[in-house]
Amino acid sequence: MEARGLWQKIAEMISRHSLVCILLFFIIFPFIVPYKALATQIIIWGLFALGFNVCLGYTGMLSFGHAAYFGVGAYTTGIVLIRLWENIWFALFAGLVMGGLLALLLGYLCIKRKGIYFAMLTLAFAQLVYFVAFQWVDLTGGDNGLRNIPAVPLSLFGMSIDIHTPIRFYFFVLFFVFLSLLALNRILQSPFGHVLQAVRENEQRARSCGYEATNVRWLAFIISGAISGLSGSLYALYLHFVGIETLYYSTSGQVIMMTLLGGMGSFIGPFIGAGVFLFLEDVLSIITPNWMIFLGVIFVLCVLFFPSGIWGTVRDLSLKKKGISVVSKQ
Amino acid sequence: MGEILKTVNLTKSFGGLTAVNGVSFSIQEGDLQSIIGPNGAGKSTFFKLIIGEFAPSSGQIIFMNQDITALPQPAISHRGVAVAYQITNIFPMLSVFENVRVAAQSRKTTFNLWSQALSHKELTEESQAILELIGLQDVQGETAANLSHGDRKRLEIGIALATKPKLLLLDEPTAGLSPPETRQTIDLIKKIAKGLTIILVEHKMKVVMEVSSKITVLYYGSLLVQGTPDDIRSNEEVRRVYLGGVKC
Repeated sequence: MEARGLWQKIAEMISRHSLVCILLFFIIFPFIVPYKALATQIIIWGLFALGFNVCLGYTGMLSFGHAAYFGVGAYTTGIVLIRLWENIWFALFAGLVMGGLLALLLGYLCIKRKGIYFAMLTLAFAQLVYFVAFQWVDLTGGDNGLRNIPAVPLSLFGMSIDIHTPIRFYFFVLFFVFLSLLALNRILQSPFGHVLQAVRENEQRARSCGYEATNVRWLAFIISGAISGLSGSLYALYLHFVGIETLYYSTSGQVIMMTLLGGMGSFIGPFIGAGVFLFLEDVLSIITPNWMIFLGVIFVLCVLFFPSGIWGTVRDLSLKKKGISVVSKQ
Repeated sequence: MGEILKTVNLTKSFGGLTAVNGVSFSIQEGDLQSIIGPNGAGKSTFFKLIIGEFAPSSGQIIFMNQDITALPQPAISHRGVAVAYQITNIFPMLSVFENVRVAAQSRKTTFNLWSQALSHKELTEESQAILELIGLQDVQGETAANLSHGDRKRLEIGIALATKPKLLLLDEPTAGLSPPETRQTIDLIKKIAKGLTIILVEHKMKVVMEVSSKITVLYYGSLLVQGTPDDIRSNEEVRRVYLGGVKC
């Protein structure tokens, strides 16, 4: 009983100061995982899941095609570095913008439909992007992927810094993850963020209050695409390579699994989901090549018994406690 | 004070069913009129046509001398038409306060991504005033889904009021309420009717007779008769189709 109370207090505290807690945790994070590259991978995928969550958790749209925005961000960054300009800042910015632009275009066509139709449209368009990349060998390398992305140093205030050691690269990625968290936090607390919630809660009512719900969802989709694009860019820098499977629907499925595992509608959930997913992949893939089976079982159990995800379940427990105390006061 | 709303031969068919059939209705600015009729008479559909939730099959809707028939629902809301739905239609997982605040915000901004929503003082103050008016200021921090049926009904009216309407459509605001709650809601309607045009759909005849200046009776989608409460009470046809079935 004592211990449970303590957990609830911790969960509440993390909920209240989630940004500070995430930052503090991520600063020590690379030192507590088996190897530093895993930590980098987890926060990159966590960022992707965070962007995806703008769609699913905050707006209630299940997109099955987020691989497109992640992949396009990755390819853009790679192509910029190889062909245009060896500047990391510009390459990342280009990835973010291209992710957002593609979401602007495809989102316009998808958000007119809802539910399963929306999911199928996003999937169809993402596969379209996949096949374009697959066929356009000159630009993307096709089936072989985009190889030999140069490990250019980072230019900062006239200095040139080599960021391609595991620990430096981790903190470089963390910088962008935290920047995205700050921006998203700001957006969710803005008037637009509140409209977003209203549209998710009750679109009919939001419309009768005078909100153009379709445009609201469209902008949310674009923001989501831009963050996914940025995470894809970071992934390309991390691997110095973009595989064609980055754009494949399995990538879309993976980000959905991560988000559901961790829990929707919070900042922490997607990172927990990405962490659990990649950690299990890391551990299980050594034991068996069929590690996906175990992950699948865990996923099914999670959806059946903890539908609000790992973080959602912890948070619900603490809220339930609060709810009981409110009732007893009355 | 002129005519604020006029419908001309308004018709809505769903496949073979004509839910609203050639209804021509009008209301003066500042007036409070009621629409009554048995279940399935087309009252709620009539409302949904006015607010633009359904597109009419034929006919015209004129609001403040402008044709709003083809306007999308959000645009009609911005012209100044609001509805309190029959089946409560709130934002369930948002707080009571946020339900009203986000409705009030619709008059100011949608795509403001940068400022803090709660730092808009005038919206907070407006919302507080409305919560006080509908008597929910003490539960404003509560999640709306946890409210009692009566409180939800009043929150429904609060959301509609927060959009600062010129014309308010109330769809059975006292349905399912206890006698004291009904009393409260009638008082609320009388209070807000002072600065507002209201069309009321209601089954409780006592409420209708007490507050409305004019009553319209719909029957199977068509306008049966219109008149003052006294006219309606003494009308033989109305008695036959409707009032005979319920206590007066």
